[in-house]
Amino acid sequence: MNLRKLGEPQAYLFILPALVPYVIFWLAPMVYVVYLSFVDWDFMNPVKTFVGWENYSRLLTDAKFYQALTTTCLFALGNVLPSLVGGLFLALLLNRKLRGMAFFRTVIFLPWVTPTVAVSIVWSWIYEPRVGLANAILGWFGAGGLEWTKSPDTALISILIVTIWKGLGWTMMFYLVALQNIPESLHEAAMIEGANRRQRLMHITLPLISPTTFFLFLITTIDSIQAYDQINVLTQGGPSGSTRTLLYLFYESAFERFEIGEASAVAIVLILLLAMISLVSLYVSRRRIHYL
Amino acid sequence: MLHRIKSWPSHVLLYITVGFISIMMAFPFFWMFSSSLKTNDEIWSVPPVLWPAEAKWGNFLEAWQAAPFGLYLFNSVFVAAAVVIIQLINSSMMSYALTHMRFALKHVLMAVIMVTYMLPVSSTYLSGYVILSRMGLLDSYTGLILSNSITIFGIFLLRQAFQQIPKELLEAAKIDGSGHLRILWAIMIPLSRSTLIVMTLLSFIGQYNNYFWPMLITKNPDLQLVSAGLRSFFVEGGAYGMKWPLIMAASTFTIIPLVILFFAAQKWIIKGVSNAQSVNKG
Repeated sequence: MNLRKLGEPQAYLFILPALVPYVIFWLAPMVYVVYLSFVDWDFMNPVKTFVGWENYSRLLTDAKFYQALTTTCLFALGNVLPSLVGGLFLALLLNRKLRGMAFFRTVIFLPWVTPTVAVSIVWSWIYEPRVGLANAILGWFGAGGLEWTKSPDTALISILIVTIWKGLGWTMMFYLVALQNIPESLHEAAMIEGANRRQRLMHITLPLISPTTFFLFLITTIDSIQAYDQINVLTQGGPSGSTRTLLYLFYESAFERFEIGEASAVAIVLILLLAMISLVSLYVSRRRIHYL
Repeated sequence: MLHRIKSWPSHVLLYITVGFISIMMAFPFFWMFSSSLKTNDEIWSVPPVLWPAEAKWGNFLEAWQAAPFGLYLFNSVFVAAAVVIIQLINSSMMSYALTHMRFALKHVLMAVIMVTYMLPVSSTYLSGYVILSRMGLLDSYTGLILSNSITIFGIFLLRQAFQQIPKELLEAAKIDGSGHLRILWAIMIPLSRSTLIVMTLLSFIGQYNNYFWPMLITKNPDLQLVSAGLRSFFVEGGAYGMKWPLIMAASTFTIIPLVILFFAAQKWIIKGVSNAQSVNKG
């Protein structure tokens, strides 16, 4: 390699302060976890026994794994769809130059800023089956109380409600910015052509904000797959595994059962799952998304 | 005038809808606060009491003394501040090199960084834990700070900001004999001030709220961040000990620093969202 290709020597000093922690705490663990998924180890034993594909084959024959995979997908779908649709709905409502709109935006955005652990604790009190607020509200409408986080039928939905509540302001903000970037002349032109409100939404607004939808789809999916705090506070994966996502399974096998090999195999599945989702959505976006 | 009259009823409907949604969104916070002021009788009463007959402000003092919350808050603020300072320095240097310097494998580095941004960072927590323990950095402020000291999102944001600074400015500075460090400090940073403020705020909020990773790498209770501390208090005295007013009081003072920060800086935080938006197009 000749010297010109190496560029400026000083550049290396500039990238070093970020590169060193990046390599140690991002790249090295990514590579290391691949290795760990092929060994049998418990943290303590000085020897890591190489076992080949055994961790994976055990995982793929374990009913718990499939339950966790299903739960993860349900959780992601149950979070992404309402967050995107709800965020867009709120943005369309609040995208007006009217008095007080800024205040409403602030209130709706507030949950995003607050610590997940603290607000999950508050929600666990709301979900309390005997005297909690949630059942009191159901009672006003004449409906019977639910067990919320205590029953396998409703636990996942209870966690989803907290997650959506917390993230709705975030998606709304992104959509607000996107809506404000649409040139008003487009809407005016469409109105002159006689397009009604619904037609303008379908043929102007939605196509023009599709890059934002794509971006939000990706980050909300990544966040859903990595949800941990609210599950840890509200259900710890229970009852009877109904809220045990892949990440929670990863946590349990690594830090509660010390099965490093198995946990690492779960981590690899998680990485592959996200890589697959990212690739598919990138492919779809290339063909379907309209950039201004 | 006609337009106004026509839109009047639809505005009322809009305000009712939006007001209702806002109350729903804010209600958990109100409920937390009102519960923190109740007596044990009031908190267990059916149907629930909206606001206690007499606010028990003493609950806050009792909760504050029931666990070392002062220490937890200090830990969170200290670690978050240290992390943010390091991130500001190393991200701006990295972004400067990526936008205005030539070095080998620059595009490879950028591509690798892009790809890891899309991957779930929590899947590295196990191997990261092993690496950190080999380095002898478990249960230490150093470990908490260093392991969080990189922000890929921040590098994206700053790279975006630095790209928009006119090249002529830099050329002029170079002719005047300024070195890279001086250009970064005297031109790039002042001109990207708004991006840096946004990055500081988003990063601080993220670090203050951080729970999973810090909880894994600290077993010493004195090093717990506020979320982990609150969670232990909840498990020990809370759901099982039934001290709900105290738990709600503790949740309240955990949340309050962020609520204050948010209201003080909301203009910037909201601006940050629109910047983050452009990251994905860039």
